Amino acid sequence: MNFNILLGFAIIVCLVGLFIRFSIWFSQGLRPAAQTISPVQRLTAGIQAVFSTLFSAKLLLVLKSTLFDLFLQKRIFEKSTLRWTTHTLIFTGFILLLFMHALSPVLSDSLFSDYQPTLNPFLFLRNLFGIMVLVGLGLAIYRRISQKAQRLKSSTSDWAALVFIAVIILSGMLLEGAKMSSITTFQGMVEEYADLDDTERNALEAYWVKENGLRSPNIVKPVDPALVAEGMEISNDSCMDCHAPNSSAFASKTLSPITVPFSSSLGDAATVSFFWYLHILACLSFLAWIPFSKMFHILAAPVSLIIKGVTGDQELKDPVSIFNNQMIGLSACTHCGSCSVECSSSMFYESFQNDFILPSEKVQYLKKIAAGKENNPEVLKQMQQGLYVCTSCDRCTTVCPSGINLKEIFVSARYALLAKGTPETSMLSHFSFPLALARNFVDDHIKALKKVTDIFKQSFPHLADIDAPVTLDNTQKFDNSSFNGCFSCQRCTNICPVVRSYDNPGEALGLLPHQIMFSLGIGNIDLATGAQMIWSCSTCYLCQEHCPNEVELCDIFYSLKNRAISKIEAGANS
Amino acid sequence: MKYAFFQGCNIPIRIQQYATSTEAVLNKFGIELEVVPEFNCCGYPVRNVDEKAYILPSVRNMAIAEKKGLDILVICNCCFASLQKAKHVLEHNDGLKKEINDLLAQEDLKYQGTVQIQHYLTVFHEEIGTEKIQSLIVNTFKDLNIAVIHGCHILRPREITGFDDSFVPRITEDLMKATGANSLDWRGKMECCGAALAGINDDLSQNLLKEKIDGAKQAGAAFITPVCSYCHLQFDTMQKTINSGNSSEPLLPVVLYPQLLGLCLGIDEKLLGIEQNSTIDPVDIKRLKDVLSPPVKKKKRKKAKIAS
Repeated sequence: MNFNILLGFAIIVCLVGLFIRFSIWFSQGLRPAAQTISPVQRLTAGIQAVFSTLFSAKLLLVLKSTLFDLFLQKRIFEKSTLRWTTHTLIFTGFILLLFMHALSPVLSDSLFSDYQPTLNPFLFLRNLFGIMVLVGLGLAIYRRISQKAQRLKSSTSDWAALVFIAVIILSGMLLEGAKMSSITTFQGMVEEYADLDDTERNALEAYWVKENGLRSPNIVKPVDPALVAEGMEISNDSCMDCHAPNSSAFASKTLSPITVPFSSSLGDAATVSFFWYLHILACLSFLAWIPFSKMFHILAAPVSLIIKGVTGDQELKDPVSIFNNQMIGLSACTHCGSCSVECSSSMFYESFQNDFILPSEKVQYLKKIAAGKENNPEVLKQMQQGLYVCTSCDRCTTVCPSGINLKEIFVSARYALLAKGTPETSMLSHFSFPLALARNFVDDHIKALKKVTDIFKQSFPHLADIDAPVTLDNTQKFDNSSFNGCFSCQRCTNICPVVRSYDNPGEALGLLPHQIMFSLGIGNIDLATGAQMIWSCSTCYLCQEHCPNEVELCDIFYSLKNRAISKIEAGANS
Repeated sequence: MKYAFFQGCNIPIRIQQYATSTEAVLNKFGIELEVVPEFNCCGYPVRNVDEKAYILPSVRNMAIAEKKGLDILVICNCCFASLQKAKHVLEHNDGLKKEINDLLAQEDLKYQGTVQIQHYLTVFHEEIGTEKIQSLIVNTFKDLNIAVIHGCHILRPREITGFDDSFVPRITEDLMKATGANSLDWRGKMECCGAALAGINDDLSQNLLKEKIDGAKQAGAAFITPVCSYCHLQFDTMQKTINSGNSSEPLLPVVLYPQLLGLCLGIDEKLLGIEQNSTIDPVDIKRLKDVLSPPVKKKKRKKAKIAS
């Protein structure tokens, strides 16, 4: 097939993909209340934001961010030299190959008057850049394997990206290597560039076999040194003006023997065209694949980083900018996993075995949720827990190399899911503290909290609802037996700051601390678990400290809370 | 002496001044702090949900410190209590210890139980000692009424925290005395700030907080000094939220102990991050500095002692 047709096809696929990805920036979002903002409004706001930034003093911030965040990759450098080296090698090597080699008809030809792909420094540099990329890929693979224990998750698409780039570089090197050894290529070039008789031809061929890796059926080894010397002279006269020695292409020359089995079975000309197709198809498929993969970060991450550079740490206020920023952010994720490696909730991931507790895994699925493509209630429930089991330490946002405002995305997504989802029991934990402090989505929080407190009320018996006399029949076991020491002196209840906060504590709290100990004493754990008191306990431990008989009241309340939550969860999952 | 500095989740992002002032003051006494990026949450936030999930993170943190060969210095009470609790639980539960160590082995970590957990106030009080503190003090406060609020999880349960006498704590008393400030005897001193209920039962949480703010004001406090980071956020952030509807009510400004001590040691207030406390304004800072003067009498006595 014609190269131009393939190229045209790849470009069309790429453009269609880019259109889809860019349109997502202005059409999707994560927010609890349904907002009616049209894509046109969002696009207009986006364009306005770009113009108002470029034509103001903020332009300096854009330039600063472009230099430090994009070209120098300052954010990665501050965190890890290894990762910075990895990214810099791949990025620099690949971009230079793109400009100098892939786009040579457009760029190199016009920039360098004497540009020839077969001349140095170009011949050598192409190999050097290729090696840079390969070393970078090696480091990336090493990082993904060595940091697996630190909860660095690698998905198929992460490996695919690495393999894709490796295939591009290696197929290029093998193509060059195949050409070096190909007699057909050699003869074609001699035909085109040199006017030689048969003896001269033979001498030249001998020299190229000896020095430049050519494989020829006409030359018998060991090659006659006199013939080689003669060939060298001819080569210097006829070839070297346009073709540096193949040793300059050190990587391709080293890899060249790999192509030998191919040329032995396929023939040398077919081998060259095989590697040519492989190289071209790899490059063009990669181009077409960019918008549909994490490689889209090549375009999205710079935008995200510049937005971060311009807005700094200030919180965006208007929903239009928030939505746009969310979607740019989600598309800029490279799934590098830095956020998950540093996540303060990492041990909760180990305890709950929920991938969505790790920020990098949340981002992948939030893209689907924002697109409305994820409707499996179980996955959504997992995601909801993953979003809630978060200490709000903001480390993920601080560490993200793409400058994604993960904190904002996660908070918005959390309340978006809570508004629609099942009651979230982890709302009854101290993960709620930083949320109460930040006061975002106050009404949404109260609504979602009511859902879970309602289900708590429905799940357990209450003293007021019990008709028959409370008996000793119940023999449920309870792990903390210190309640046996309770002799109902009521010191706990009398010292409790929560009990004191209510005019009618019995009504507000269901059971008072000493009554909870009594319920446990008669073996009615469910009655104790159903007391509102356990959720109103301020965990100040005054009761436990003041108990004359060492009843561990506050610890018992914690156990009851654990029990209540696991019972509610068991009910939700049954 | 060097410690692994356990800052928890709140301090690095919301109360940096607590970390910087603590470090600045400790450095004066030759104590170094190493920030350990590998530390994760202490586990406290999940305690209502699952006790085992609450223990695990602290064990990992202690294992990391043990690997580094450092003891842990903690600021936040809740982190302190979680670490102490995990240590205590594993001392009595070999099965759980093995289970957790099996999990930690994948990261090449192992918890032995050798690490010590120190609250920074204990380091001031026991390791440095008030005498040494006084020897470096260049200024002391005069007529400055401070309401200290200990926070619950540093004092109780005493078998776990092992911090001080949980009924008559004297560490904070001695340390406040060293700065010359007058630590008030007030009702909320050892009670709850309401933080544990924020986001779960906001009305109750805020009532408990208001009770403390009013109590401190009635006792004549010019400033409140919370020890725990949760208490700090309640007084320094939540107080403003509660107060937002009632601007005529003056805020009770927050100042942290290392900030007070830092001023006495002649450390620059900017370095101590006093203005980063959101309830404190320049007038309050001036008020603090106005009552600061060289400790004339004490110096004379000391000199007399040395001479004799």
